[in-house]
Amino acid sequence: MATLIAFACGSTSGGGGAKGTIKIGSDLPTCTAGGKSTQNGIDFAIKQKNAAGGVSGFTIQFVPFDDCRQAAYSADAGVENVTSMLGDSKFLGMIGPYNSAVAKAEIPRAAAQSFTMVSPSNTNPCLTKDLSTCSYHPQDLRGGKPNNYFRVVTTDDYQGPAMADYAYKTLNLKNVGVLDDSTVFGAGIADTFSSEFKKLGGTVTRDSYKKEQTSDWRSKLLTFKAAGAQAVYVGGTDDQNICIPRKQMKQIGWDAPYMGGDGIETPDCINQASGNEVGISATSAGADATQIPGAKSTIDAFRAAFPQPNDFGGYTMQAYDATNALMAAIGRAINDANGSMPSREQVRKEMAATKGFVGVIGTYDFDQNGDNSLKIVSIYTVQAVSDPTQSTGVCGKTASKDCFVWKTQFDFAKSSG
Amino acid sequence: MSVGDFGFFVICLTAIVLLAAQAVVHPSEFAQILVFGLADGAIYALVALGYTMVYGIIELINFAHGDVFTLGAYVAAAVMGFFAGTSEDTFSVSNLVALLVTFPAAMLLMGAVNITIERVAYRPLRNAPRLAPLITAIGMSFLLEGIMFVWSGPFTVHVPDLLPHGPGFNTTIGGVFIEFKDVFVVVAAAILVSLLAVFINRSKLGKAMRATAQDRDASQLMGININRTIAATFFIGALLAGAGGVIWGLYFNAITYNLGFRTGLVAFTSAVFGGIGNIPGAALGGMVIGLTAAFSDAYIGSKWTQVVIFGILIGVLVFRPTGLLGMRVPEK
Repeated sequence: MATLIAFACGSTSGGGGAKGTIKIGSDLPTCTAGGKSTQNGIDFAIKQKNAAGGVSGFTIQFVPFDDCRQAAYSADAGVENVTSMLGDSKFLGMIGPYNSAVAKAEIPRAAAQSFTMVSPSNTNPCLTKDLSTCSYHPQDLRGGKPNNYFRVVTTDDYQGPAMADYAYKTLNLKNVGVLDDSTVFGAGIADTFSSEFKKLGGTVTRDSYKKEQTSDWRSKLLTFKAAGAQAVYVGGTDDQNICIPRKQMKQIGWDAPYMGGDGIETPDCINQASGNEVGISATSAGADATQIPGAKSTIDAFRAAFPQPNDFGGYTMQAYDATNALMAAIGRAINDANGSMPSREQVRKEMAATKGFVGVIGTYDFDQNGDNSLKIVSIYTVQAVSDPTQSTGVCGKTASKDCFVWKTQFDFAKSSG
Repeated sequence: MSVGDFGFFVICLTAIVLLAAQAVVHPSEFAQILVFGLADGAIYALVALGYTMVYGIIELINFAHGDVFTLGAYVAAAVMGFFAGTSEDTFSVSNLVALLVTFPAAMLLMGAVNITIERVAYRPLRNAPRLAPLITAIGMSFLLEGIMFVWSGPFTVHVPDLLPHGPGFNTTIGGVFIEFKDVFVVVAAAILVSLLAVFINRSKLGKAMRATAQDRDASQLMGININRTIAATFFIGALLAGAGGVIWGLYFNAITYNLGFRTGLVAFTSAVFGGIGNIPGAALGGMVIGLTAAFSDAYIGSKWTQVVIFGILIGVLVFRPTGLLGMRVPEK
């Protein structure tokens, strides 16, 4: 019966490939610049694939979903979106979500139906690793079903330490004030930064705030400064106003580095820092595409299709890769199904079996937890550039020439052996 | 002295002793936080006045007041956008012109908005059970937030940094970094509060407002136009909230559509702290709450600040419901 419906729909869609249409969904907070630029990467990969004839005779249809509610990502909205996808048998996988908290809510729903999820940006380690610092076990999220969740980025347990290494060894800082936005992500990344920085021999002063309760961070910043801090590390995201304290540092006459995770590598962060954005440093849980030989042609083609400076973001190429990896798995699953529409379980199985996938951000596999074999963290710092359209890091909206510029990268796969 | 008063003074005294210890140990840091607290407190005071005036005259907690304040900031951001020659980097004549237009524009517009709210949402319910206008006020609050949400979206909106700032407009006195902005906020608030005090105590309308607050029926018998007097109260409260919104925008340069919810509650706490209905009390309460927030951020931790402020609200209501300077409400 399902086949019959699929066939019927396929034949009415007209413009589709010879065998019909396969849908790939996305679940991203497209109210944010980060979510939007990530969605562009998926869109681009699918258009490219369809222009080249689709996947084994099927046309791929991209159906983007938005998980924003009232200006910020919402796990509830994400679950609603996944439920919509699960209700349509043509959806064989999804790219997303963008935020780890959303993934935590979505994985149980998707796992129950072997629905493949590939996240271009989730960095919370607890989603895949059973660590003592986590409040849940990854196998519980999957309800005993085989793993359906994959990600092409490195986890936060590397992001925090990478910045700690950079601050202590490269910038030669010994005392840092650490502020987090009281979210799971923000507090988590601030913890990993703090423990690594202390392990190296540095001193840390901690505090947290909540967005709805704080507009003035100056007193807190002042106590950091009075405690001898030479820089501020923030754990959080721009939708929690994490970069307004950066502006207020100028108001208290404090000129010092401002560092954080990938949640601050955004145009909104530069906007919030208004006038004090230069000197913000952020980690990104992945390699910079410009640092990988062979990625340039893809980036150039993307730039031609999406010309605005902020069409390209920190996770655009990760999303592009995630989409191609998923489409490759769908292609193999079609072979498994003898050329017809594969089942979701066939797609999931092939995704897990991915070996030596050659993507823009590197060549990699997925381990049994769904983590990829790359462990690269990049570091970016805001500075004035002459041509923002050539920047791989994002730029400000009003301060359009102040952009995140790649500084260095840490490869934890190599260092840990 | 009652047990409640005693408890209240013990708590106040403890806080003052602990702060004095900080002032002795780290004087310049303490003084710096004092500056932040005074500036924030000045803005809370402007908003608290609107709560206290309206409560004094019709015993209504106008929960929409915090959102009138936020709307003032949004209007300010929009009005400033019309002035092409302004610069955020250097202070020019255009900046001055923009500021001179923005303040009255935002203030008068907010006055008009608040009169409309009173006419549409509160006046028809003036003789209804007291819960009805309270719920309506919360409804108006959501309505205004919704309007700002639709207008400017959910994100943090940037308000142009038009006040003089940067090198040449700040100074360090005894290790305390003071910007022109800090002085501006406190002076502007002080001028507005003084004007209000003169108006309430010296003008005919001010006298009518005091009379109406004391006994509405008797005032009416004396020939005071009650509706006009109450509308004037809302108008003046909103002028101050609008000015507060503009000042907030110029000071922090970042606003969100739901800013008024928290600011409103903090200002309300200030009003209760000073003695609800009491105008000097609201101004004093705003300053005290602003300082409390700054000291709490620094010495206790930002995440506890809200707990401290609303702990004070509960403490005042339990131990000293009349507030610091005493409640002034209609005598029944």
